[in-house]
Amino acid sequence: MLKIKDLRVAIEGKEILKGINLDVKAGEVHAIMGPNGSGKSTLAKVLAGREEYEVTGGSIEYRNEDLLELEVDERAREGIFLAFQYPVEIPGVTTASFLKHTLNSVRKARGEEELDAFEMLKLLKEKAKLVEMNQKLLSRSLNDGFSGGEKKRNEVLQMAVLNPTLAVLDETDSGLDIDALRIVSEGVNRLKNEDNAFIVITHYQRLLNHIVPDHVHVLFEGRIVKSGDKTLAHELEEKGYDWIKEELATV
Amino acid sequence: MNTVAQDRFATTKAHFKQLFEQFEQGLNGQKAHPIHKLRRTAIQRLEDLQFPGRKNEDWKYTPVTRVLQPAYKSAALANLTSADVEAHLFEGLDVHLLVFNNGKLDQTLSNIGELPEGVEISTIATALDKGTHKEKIEGVLKGWAEGKDAFAALNMSFADNGLFIYVPANVQVEKPIYLLHLNLTASSPFLNNPQRIILAERSSNCTIIERYSNENSNGTYFTNAMTHIDLGANAFFTHYKLQQESLESFQVNQVDVLQERDSTYTSHAIDLGGRLVRNNLRTHLKNSGTLTNFYGVYLAKGEQHLDNQTFIDHAFPHCNSNELYKGVIDDKARGVFNGKVIVRQDAQKTNAFQQNSNLVLSDKAVMDTKPQLEIFADDVKCSHGATIGQLDEESIFYLRSRGLNKEAARSLLQQAFLKEVIENMDIEPIREVVESMITKKFES
Repeated sequence: MLKIKDLRVAIEGKEILKGINLDVKAGEVHAIMGPNGSGKSTLAKVLAGREEYEVTGGSIEYRNEDLLELEVDERAREGIFLAFQYPVEIPGVTTASFLKHTLNSVRKARGEEELDAFEMLKLLKEKAKLVEMNQKLLSRSLNDGFSGGEKKRNEVLQMAVLNPTLAVLDETDSGLDIDALRIVSEGVNRLKNEDNAFIVITHYQRLLNHIVPDHVHVLFEGRIVKSGDKTLAHELEEKGYDWIKEELATV
Repeated sequence: MNTVAQDRFATTKAHFKQLFEQFEQGLNGQKAHPIHKLRRTAIQRLEDLQFPGRKNEDWKYTPVTRVLQPAYKSAALANLTSADVEAHLFEGLDVHLLVFNNGKLDQTLSNIGELPEGVEISTIATALDKGTHKEKIEGVLKGWAEGKDAFAALNMSFADNGLFIYVPANVQVEKPIYLLHLNLTASSPFLNNPQRIILAERSSNCTIIERYSNENSNGTYFTNAMTHIDLGANAFFTHYKLQQESLESFQVNQVDVLQERDSTYTSHAIDLGGRLVRNNLRTHLKNSGTLTNFYGVYLAKGEQHLDNQTFIDHAFPHCNSNELYKGVIDDKARGVFNGKVIVRQDAQKTNAFQQNSNLVLSDKAVMDTKPQLEIFADDVKCSHGATIGQLDEESIFYLRSRGLNKEAARSLLQQAFLKEVIENMDIEPIREVVESMITKKFES
């Protein structure tokens, strides 16, 4: 589904990603771990199409298409979804009307019929239940004054509504209490199927007790320095990232 | 040697004088009407008055040269049909409708309908003939004819089809009174001088919708409007202004409100059209316990110039004012906001809030904002502020990452920015029309 080859990315002339290789197949969950500043969020934003990041080398192929040729919104309509590390507050736009706008633009692009207000409300209520989100939040301004947990749940709600093919979760677990973490993880697990894929970016191994990854990669100083199965995550939790650093130093 | 400074607008004034003479010739029998005496006073007075220049602090950012340049003629009637009117009705809202065709009241297309007992809607001339409120009306007209304001004197010089509205004490006018000005250019450039005198007595309740529209968005004309609103004690008055004039037109729109004890005046001013528009909205508080709400939205694109000047004079204790103006300035357009609030020494326990926020979307767009708050009392709650910003890139990225294209994301954020103002409109059918007018303007 997704093939990243020797991806190099810079921002304001500073190289952040220094040759990333990653192969994600349908039905898989990949976890990307790494210390702060290793380039995890940069990778997430580049996949979503943030324009400030300059791709200086390599390629990203998504469903046999050159992903780098697509605009941010085109990628979304092609089924890519980024759950933000810091969801943006947008006063004046209710969550419900925002989701109606976005879902209909995505459906239109897929050649599906747009939903009317009644169908939309039904769908939103159903999905809100999935993430145990108070329906009152739907009629409030998007993320405006939401708690950290509510914001993250709103991200998962949007993901559930848009039903992406490739979802990238950028530190969705950071700052969540155990209840919120469980709700967010269950939301993801229910959406998971053999036709879609997830890239879960996290700083903490804890999330991976809830969302079980098929592959775990360690990103360090702009490169994937180690890959393995879920046991790698446990190892990282035990030994910390210094272990990786030491291992790299000896090489 | 003659040392009198040359009047920059001497030619313009001479032109107006000539236009007045033509107008006078066409009056025939009406020359004897008392209103004509006031017109003559006004055109005479105009000779001594100066149109404001850049040195006038209140007009510093808004040059009137362009407004006064065209050789204006009297307005000819456009070919209006009931379809033109129907396109401007609010779905689900019954109104007392008055249609103005290039400034002239169109009796056929208007539909005032049944008015509550004692409510009067007539021309100012008819009201003067009737005599019941003669003194008050003449007082206002004299103020315009003999005052210091050149635009008021110009307005009074050509006063015709002025409107008088009277709401007696304790009367609730349930349906809004809708003044629909359709300005479809029939003879360009033309001059249009609407006048309104509104007396709303004690504990009355009334809503006015003042709308200017030119769907074709072309043609040069100058709407120079004067409105006087006199609110009795405990009266409740709501004033909507929806302005979507031609992009080649000019408007100077002045509103003076007198508020007696415990009265409430709320203004919702929406400015979307016009090449150059200047609004002067002033309220004069005559006693305690009043509430004044000024809400404004302006969207300027292309080479539009939209200027809002507001004035609230707190002279008595326990009065409240809220002012919120928001604007979006794009392309090479220019916006001006100058809001003055005075809290005089005796005006203890005043609550006065003023905010002006702007989005400036292009390098060539300009916004000048000057919120002014002068406080001479010590036991008051007052605040004011102004902001000028751009659309937030992170927000645009967020919306786009959910599938909205760039234009839709920007438009949604701009509408969200204005929503805080629009949501103060209590009459939903009007709010819906305003929202769709704004959406259309963003998409144009």
